[in-house]
Amino acid sequence: MDESDEDPKTGLRTPENPSSLRLHDRSHLDHTVLVMAPMSCALCQNAKAILKRPKTGQQICKECFFFVFETEVHNTIIQAHLFEPGDRVAIGASGGKDSTVLAYVMKTLNERYNYGLELFLLSIDEGITGYRDDSLETVKRNQQQYNMPLKILSYEELYGWTMDAIVAEIGKKNNCTFCGVFRRQALDRGASALEVDHIVTGHNADDIAETVLMNIMRGDIARLGRCTQICTRGEDTIKRSKPFKYAYEKEIVMYAYFKKLDYFSTECIYSPDAYRGHARTFLKDLEAARPSAIIDIIHSGEAFELREDIKATQKQQQTCKRCGYMSSNDLCKACTLLEGLERGMAGSVITDRARKKLDAMGPAPDNLRTIPHFQSPRPAVSIQSPSQES
Amino acid sequence: MSTITVKVEFGGGLELLFGNKRVHSISLPSFVPADNTIAPSSPPNSETPLLAESDDPPLPANGPIPDPMKGLGEMKAKPLDVQYLMHYLRSRLLTERPELFMDGDTVRPGVLVLINDTDWELEGEGTYEISDGDEIVFISTLHGG
Amino acid sequence: MASCGNPIADDSALMLSRPRFDKGKHCVKCKLNLGNIVIRHAVYCRDCFTPLVIVKFRRALEPHVNANAGTSKRPKLKASGSLVLGFSGGLGSAVLLDLVYKSYFAGRPPTDENGDPRGGINHPRNVSVWTSCAVCYVEVSSAIPEAHERTEEMRSALASYPNLKFIPLRLEDAFDESWWCRMTGNPDMSQLTLELGKDGLPTEGLNLAHSSNTLSPKDALRAFLTALPTPTAVSRAIQVLIRLLMFFTAQFHGASHLVLGSSLTTLAVSLVSCVAQGGGHAIREEFQEEWPPGLSPGVERGGSVRVVRPLRDVTMKECAAFAWWNGIRVPGRPRLTRVITGIPGLTKDFVVRLEKDYPSTVSTIARTCAKLEPKGTSVGECWFCYSHLQGGLADWKARISIRSHPNLKVVERLASSSPADSSVHPDQTSRLPPLDTHLCYSCITMFTSRSSRKSSFAPPLIHHQDMPLPRWVKPQDAEEAIPVSKNGELWVRSRQSEKECRESIADFLLPDN
Repeated sequence: MDESDEDPKTGLRTPENPSSLRLHDRSHLDHTVLVMAPMSCALCQNAKAILKRPKTGQQICKECFFFVFETEVHNTIIQAHLFEPGDRVAIGASGGKDSTVLAYVMKTLNERYNYGLELFLLSIDEGITGYRDDSLETVKRNQQQYNMPLKILSYEELYGWTMDAIVAEIGKKNNCTFCGVFRRQALDRGASALEVDHIVTGHNADDIAETVLMNIMRGDIARLGRCTQICTRGEDTIKRSKPFKYAYEKEIVMYAYFKKLDYFSTECIYSPDAYRGHARTFLKDLEAARPSAIIDIIHSGEAFELREDIKATQKQQQTCKRCGYMSSNDLCKACTLLEGLERGMAGSVITDRARKKLDAMGPAPDNLRTIPHFQSPRPAVSIQSPSQES
Repeated sequence: MSTITVKVEFGGGLELLFGNKRVHSISLPSFVPADNTIAPSSPPNSETPLLAESDDPPLPANGPIPDPMKGLGEMKAKPLDVQYLMHYLRSRLLTERPELFMDGDTVRPGVLVLINDTDWELEGEGTYEISDGDEIVFISTLHGG
Repeated sequence: MASCGNPIADDSALMLSRPRFDKGKHCVKCKLNLGNIVIRHAVYCRDCFTPLVIVKFRRALEPHVNANAGTSKRPKLKASGSLVLGFSGGLGSAVLLDLVYKSYFAGRPPTDENGDPRGGINHPRNVSVWTSCAVCYVEVSSAIPEAHERTEEMRSALASYPNLKFIPLRLEDAFDESWWCRMTGNPDMSQLTLELGKDGLPTEGLNLAHSSNTLSPKDALRAFLTALPTPTAVSRAIQVLIRLLMFFTAQFHGASHLVLGSSLTTLAVSLVSCVAQGGGHAIREEFQEEWPPGLSPGVERGGSVRVVRPLRDVTMKECAAFAWWNGIRVPGRPRLTRVITGIPGLTKDFVVRLEKDYPSTVSTIARTCAKLEPKGTSVGECWFCYSHLQGGLADWKARISIRSHPNLKVVERLASSSPADSSVHPDQTSRLPPLDTHLCYSCITMFTSRSSRKSSFAPPLIHHQDMPLPRWVKPQDAEEAIPVSKNGELWVRSRQSEKECRESIADFLLPDN
């Protein structure tokens, strides 16, 4: 009952192996495997295997890896009927591995299977000196390489605050809450400016599995119900989907490596290490114990739903009274956080209790800086086109 | 140098890590190194706390008490606290698998500590300063369910 | 962009911590005494703590005692059969045993001055709720090398609870023909096995065969466990064997209830572990199960059995304090050091550590999972673990992890046409069907999911060509093998061979050249 290394042929029917080859002694088998090198690809049985697939443990060749990786993403897209021909689709591009590989694979599949999509790159500039400036350069290179129009929207442009300024105001604790909330709304607004129907993001299987675990531990049933959905859509916001839903992070890195894709990998300078651990570390441990764990967790997340009686008690989505963005309260999270920043009480808007305190201080002053009202879709503005088109 | 005697009891299977002996009577000096350094026992082979039987009333089981401050020169001292006691138990009485007892400077998650029958979380956990005659119980909750 | 690469950038990843206790050191209940224990940020004194645990125990158990809810607000407690208590020797089951015994079975009811039962006739202790109580212990030592037998130790631990019947079982009973005949009442000589690949592990196809030679139950158990691919699989398999051994025993003894000593902490661990092993469809069964009569093939006797976990609101810490302050003897679980490795072991470490920093986490996990139900309809029961079977698994797996493609063109064509259901070929019925369409996702994963770690082969206990399966794994006859969903629609799924695949898309294939 010890952990066993996979046999590369595992899972394949091997009628060519007569039962006389069956080995009754595993140590003997171990030896046999050793002398059989080099291994041929478990899929095409032809080329030399050069990698072990994290998702299945099979040893396969480079070409077969590209093929299965791309085909699985294609299967995901087709099964979920994500797109219609003629759709304008924005790829949320950060210059990191996930979004760089996503841009490449979307372009590849769009051409191979004639999806008929018009693809755009959409980047958010959080305003973090030395972090996003560099990765935005990567995105600009991608714009050239993939010949896709690029739109960059900055926090400063939208909210009047860069992350540098926010951190100067509130310190490093909780700044990720601001950044996360602001990014989500910024993406929608950028997409609206591009007049796209759809945003695809690079969320991978590891991200989704982690979210499933996190939502169970935090008791966030609303998110638990929807976090494994491949495609989400608010009242009047743009469709958002995750074509990499079943793609392992490790395989995305592997794909970028073998395709020699140009991506940026540094960590945010404002990310406090103290919060690392928890779900992500646990997930990595589970994956090490049994690599299928990531996909198994996603399967679990898809196999249950909220009980009917609980669904009925869920808060209805409404629109933010101030900016028109979808929200579960009168004010959306971005407006709440922004108001806190503007009134010099940013640290106190993270929790509900502190929020009440803010409300008790009276209505927001009239001269408060607010987010422009959200309308979807809006006429396109200032789109940077690839140089060869301009 | 004054001495504090404390009764230590293990339950929930934790006693298996301490030579399968549930009750120990420990005598320690009232001031100990602030960094929880446990001085080597002296003389090294003179006492085997695991074999010393503990009865009621508890007798000091750990032989002559060395002054842990002696020879440490400028080392900072603190009053004897539970954290020091745990380091002492781990260094001197624990016979196997220390990771099942402690985790860093505190007990491993899943170990319940009672100080005079009260949850140590109400008493300041490791910073609780031990008084003479205190009873401290360590109970593992992980021995199954 | 997915995110900035920081797991907490999404605010959904943020966990806020609270002080251990924030309302002073006095008991929150009586408000008089200084507190003795902190339970999820609240302070209780010793006097208030014991009744608190008893109340939680009753509140979790008593609504499930009567067969029907009835209309009365406080119905008289009356079970339709006897009680079986699953006893592992661990903290939870020792506390449960003590609570059950003292609440429902201990001695004669105390009387008041008039000689009438104190507390009225509806008081739980004055009513014989269950006809009898049996304590069931499953000896697992055969599964673990160098483990020693503990049945007698458990028997002696029950000495302080007179009138309880002790039912010792052994893990290998699952492979024992005579045990299975006793449970089901009909002699059944056949045992099924799984064909193993040349690496000694089950293959993807999970092909069933009839056993050609007979192993002793103990050897069969070991051959079964040895052929499982990961420690996670071994943990799960042992858990399933124990659960089903107890269930069949409860049914055989005419029990209406099987109570288990899972604490809130244990429950949170099993829930997360269940999710991590792909068991989302069966998550409700971690809370409570109801086994209708006749669920198991051939088992005629017995009514329905309810599996209840009455300590589901009591944390491990509360159990430990309760046992300590009430002098409850906890013999301790057998040292399943090997068994709690893998995902269940990692989950336990993770949840217990989390509970220390965030004491409310375990109850949040339980409350969250209690709000879930399986999506879609079930298409029958898993042949191995008897949990609900979800339809469409093979398609799902094939779509998201491509494991074979002999011909790139074939797969390209397959991928662009939507996967179609196929029906069983008539000539297949003569053979035993592959097991994979009759197993739940977690069981398929248990049998086939490999570890990526380098192996450190311990010499196998027994190497056998095939993997013996527990006696309850039976091919049902053709009619039963076709599960019918609630709306009457037929769901038939079988893995297609390459040849069948090719035939079904032959019109779309270009000639090779």
